[in-house]
Amino acid sequence: MGNVQIKGVTKNYGGVRVMHGVDVDIEDGEFVVLVGPSGCGKSTLLRMIAGLEEISGGQISIGGRIVNDIPPKERDIAMVFQSYALYPHKTVAENMGFPLLMAKRPKAEIAEKVNRAAEILDLTKYLDRYPKQLSGGQRQRVAMGRAIVRDPQVFLFDEPLSNLDAKLRVTMRVEIKELHQRLKTTTVYVTHDQIEAMTMANKIVVMRDGRVEQIGRPLDLYDRPVNLFVAGFIGSPSMNFLQGKVATQGGKQVVLTEQGIALPLDGVQVEDGRAVTYGIRPEHITIGAGGIPVDVSVFEPTGSETLIFGRVGGVPIDALVRERIEEEPGKTMLFRIDPRKAHVFDQATGQRL
Amino acid sequence: MQSKKLGWLLLSPTLFILGLFGIFPFIYVVWVSFHEWNPFAANPEKLFNWAENYRKVVFDAQFLASLGVTLAFVFFAVVSEVVIGYLLAQAFMKNFPGKSFFRTIHTLPLIMAPIIVGSIWKLMTTPSIGIIPNLLDTWFGIDLNIGQSALAAFSITVIMDIWHWTPLVTLSLIAALVSLPSDPFEQAQIDGANKRQVFWHITLPMIRPALIATVFIRLMDAMRTVDEVLMLTGGGPGSATRYVGVHIYKEVFPRTNYGYGSAISVIVLYLSIVICWLLYVSLIAPRNKKG
Repeated sequence: MGNVQIKGVTKNYGGVRVMHGVDVDIEDGEFVVLVGPSGCGKSTLLRMIAGLEEISGGQISIGGRIVNDIPPKERDIAMVFQSYALYPHKTVAENMGFPLLMAKRPKAEIAEKVNRAAEILDLTKYLDRYPKQLSGGQRQRVAMGRAIVRDPQVFLFDEPLSNLDAKLRVTMRVEIKELHQRLKTTTVYVTHDQIEAMTMANKIVVMRDGRVEQIGRPLDLYDRPVNLFVAGFIGSPSMNFLQGKVATQGGKQVVLTEQGIALPLDGVQVEDGRAVTYGIRPEHITIGAGGIPVDVSVFEPTGSETLIFGRVGGVPIDALVRERIEEEPGKTMLFRIDPRKAHVFDQATGQRL
Repeated sequence: MQSKKLGWLLLSPTLFILGLFGIFPFIYVVWVSFHEWNPFAANPEKLFNWAENYRKVVFDAQFLASLGVTLAFVFFAVVSEVVIGYLLAQAFMKNFPGKSFFRTIHTLPLIMAPIIVGSIWKLMTTPSIGIIPNLLDTWFGIDLNIGQSALAAFSITVIMDIWHWTPLVTLSLIAALVSLPSDPFEQAQIDGANKRQVFWHITLPMIRPALIATVFIRLMDAMRTVDEVLMLTGGGPGSATRYVGVHIYKEVFPRTNYGYGSAISVIVLYLSIVICWLLYVSLIAPRNKKG
């Protein structure tokens, strides 16, 4: 079946190692998102699965078959590129039918499969058009159509929505997800946009500098990031980080910052005196008595919520609240932190405690 | 108003030069072609004789033979140049040691004047002293004599043209290949196309505009080849390599048949336009209608 196994995969460019032994297990029918900042190796990993990039070490298998030395066309995969990679001189129907034509399928079968894919993607009206006569979203759908006519074991998407405007991106995100729920084909999807990753994936693989930082379900990554990098990368707006030392105050453990501000802890077992990074997501902060004093500089009202930018002892801290706040910037506000939602990381290693 | 005047002012040097060296000579040739004019004949005056020159051209066996060998020459030369040029362009797309050196060397023929190319090839092919007949004789026992064998002379003119002009094709196809996006090619690999299919389905259609432009340029140039061939074979042996350019030259200069020569020039120009138009109609127009 369409499972993908990546075992200890490495990649060297010249003498430089850019991929340091990546292990990922992708089960049949899963929607896996590879996410990370640019240069983290996520696209390289996808291209290695596709066979467009050779691997320097390790093993990749698709559907139980080791594909290290198998050329792309025999891997039974379909790929959608960021640029869509449509053939400019072919019509929509010819573009979508191309893989079948190459597989020497009978004309009637090609026409039937192309028509069915066009129906699924709402492209029937455009079958005779050329790519240059289509909008960005339509081109995107043609690229997906070309992938689904083949009925491959695995779909590979390389940042497919990056060239679309914000509104269309949301629509296409939903369409791709619906398509996956309908076809249940194993999908590997690369993006640098953590919102896309969170909303689409069954499983997220967070990568940095050619290494896997964490693999898990979207909400697990959000709730229990294993290190500072994942904590800062997943979630928008991103997590606040404050440096301090663990101490006991009034019988309760807190993290004490240099400025003597006590940040509440709950349910974390750490010895007193340890230098830690305290993390709290902006959405886990409320405004009210008993909070820490923050000098507020900017309010960003979006209607549904308000994003407040502030500083505590010179360190930036943001809060995302549901209320509408009509205050002058420059005031001091009290940010109340929910201690059960706080994350504590070792200052030296960045690992979760 | 002011900007319009300024526009014409800025255009005027170009228009002047174009008019003086392009439009005026063309109109003059057309005008002369309707005259009987041989300044060294008993009557050196231009005598208007309607379309008599054109009537003569159409029934001139020597001209028709010349046109036939020209078309054969153009066909073999241009087809070979495009095929070899494409293969070289593909080779130069890959990395190999000494690539830029070879690329430079291979474009050198382009900067040589045709008259020089003709002289060099004459030196290389002259029986008994030229290197080519010499080697052919030593290695294969072939006796190459372009002064006697019509086929040999014809072949050598074709090879000379290929040697001289393939780099032009290579350069323009390199430019076309370099500018192609890489994604469709990777996509084609995933879509299951092999090398041959990638060439016919992806590469060729995508470089088509550059390819057609190059073919047009080479076609028109080859149609009016004169100096190289004149230098190499002088149109012989017999009239084996008397291409239309050479034919016109011989009519106009040694025989000073200005009126008749002009009429042939106009006919050849017309034929070039017709051939290009046919190519355009068969290769470009159908795509434009669709695209």
